[in-house]
Amino acid sequence: MLIGIKYCGGCNPRYNRGGAFETIKKQLPNNVEFAIAEESIEYDYLLVIGGCTKCCASYCQYQVKNDIIFVRNEDHIDMAITKIEDIVGGK
Amino acid sequence: MALMNGAQYIESLRNLNTKVYLFGEEVKNWVDHPMIRPSIECIAMTYELAHDPQYADLMTAKSNLTGETVNRFSHLHQSTEDLIKKVKMQRLLGQKTASCFQRCVGMDAFNAVFSTTYEIDKKYGTEYHEHFKKYLMYIQEKDLVVDGAMTDPKGDRSLAPSQQADLDLFLRIVEKRPDGIVVRGAKCHQTGSINSHEHLIMPTMAMSEADKSYAVSFAIESDAPGLFMVYGRQSCDTRKLEENADIDLGNKKFGGQEALVVFDDVFIPNERVFMCEEYDFAGMLVERFAGYHRQSYGGCKVGVGDVIIGAAALAADYNGAQKASHIKDKLIEMTHLNETLYSCGIACSAEGYPTEAGNYQIDLLLANVCKLNVTRFPYEIVRLAEDIAGGLMVTMPSEKDFKSDLVVGQTGKSIGEWCNKLFAAAPGVTTENRTRILRFLENICLGSSAVGYRTESLHGAGSPQAQRIMIARQGNIEHKKQLAKEIAGIKE
Repeated sequence: MLIGIKYCGGCNPRYNRGGAFETIKKQLPNNVEFAIAEESIEYDYLLVIGGCTKCCASYCQYQVKNDIIFVRNEDHIDMAITKIEDIVGGK
Repeated sequence: MALMNGAQYIESLRNLNTKVYLFGEEVKNWVDHPMIRPSIECIAMTYELAHDPQYADLMTAKSNLTGETVNRFSHLHQSTEDLIKKVKMQRLLGQKTASCFQRCVGMDAFNAVFSTTYEIDKKYGTEYHEHFKKYLMYIQEKDLVVDGAMTDPKGDRSLAPSQQADLDLFLRIVEKRPDGIVVRGAKCHQTGSINSHEHLIMPTMAMSEADKSYAVSFAIESDAPGLFMVYGRQSCDTRKLEENADIDLGNKKFGGQEALVVFDDVFIPNERVFMCEEYDFAGMLVERFAGYHRQSYGGCKVGVGDVIIGAAALAADYNGAQKASHIKDKLIEMTHLNETLYSCGIACSAEGYPTEAGNYQIDLLLANVCKLNVTRFPYEIVRLAEDIAGGLMVTMPSEKDFKSDLVVGQTGKSIGEWCNKLFAAAPGVTTENRTRILRFLENICLGSSAVGYRTESLHGAGSPQAQRIMIARQGNIEHKKQLAKEIAGIKE
């Protein structure tokens, strides 16, 4: 499974966005691949990591087969992990 | 051409033959000059962050002219979202450099010239807009830095350009040729001019018919024949010339830059001329550029403010004063002021509107309120920072003293040992870290970086009175009077 990563621009992040991604990545099995999102590639899911609740990152330009998962604050990190684990586990 | 990175930008400057003068002499290798290089590093960050996935969403945009991804600094705003992202990008860069990163003037000039040339062409049947679009596509493709230059020396402020004793005190057309124009005059305190590949010139104020030769806008390469720059001094600037200077600089890597840009009969080809005597549009161009630039300050100064607040909090930690209630309250006050500046930057962007040419313009009233706040709040922020830091930020010995092994006194200790012993504060905090943060605050409050954070906040993008005039024009006092009459039951 390939998940595209898209960050907001990070003007005034309320938490460590890069650290959030590393936490998510560590918690998930190896068959989940992550890559910085590019317009020419189709992704199974897109993980949008915003530094604040506005989450102003643009993401409509990307090709996504399934869902878009948003992380807007630290509480969303565990929610994103659970969601991806459920997807991998076929729930 | 792909977006340049920071190193490629710096190398691109070496290919220019820009004439730069400092301390009465020509500086041949200005790229590596210790007083100039920090400002170059600032602009390099605008290139570097465009390649970082954690910042690219703000730093880049899709060009409406070519469909290609371009650096946001050369983008024409296509929506209120673009205007908001501009402010956020500026806050980000202020955070990363704690300095003026200089590239905003070009972006603001692009957007102002784009919409104004459209309207000039509509009235006069000229071809400035198409010429400008071609020029901007070239800038976007090459990913160049352009200094948007507006402010003339202005001479006697009570006199119009054509009434000045010396006609060169405002930049003007001195000759019209079949293939272009020749211009003479100067642009003052030009931010980042030396570090720019190109200059985009605009008139300095609204003009009357008598001053039509001063109503001129054009683009020119920074190393064009007849063009030269005299570097502007900054407080404490020669500290950068000291051998192995580091801590005493406060901000070793980054800094701002202003220069006097002189046009000594410079030829401009027709395809780079965007206004030529259409004096009735000079005011529109000035108002639009100033509007964008007053919005800009609601981003860049906020980012610098973020660093200052952080530095003040660290100074309190290092002094062992972080638990004092008044310290906490001052940090809250600084944050409140800073976020208020940001709020106005975001507000004037969110209330933006499309121009006839299609790009987006900010709300003029809110942009002027934004900038008027910027003329005040940074001064209060640095006052509070100085309050928290304590007097040591301006009285402590030099880095060399802290590192000196010269034995002095009667007990066998060196100057360095004495300084490190006597300036120790909170447990576990090194005197080096304490002096680093205090020197940073000294630099931003009254050293070379105060140029960008204080006086530029006051006078950049127009002095406070200019904002007051615009607020008076846009504020619609008559509407407010009518509201009061209705509530109070006044019928007249």
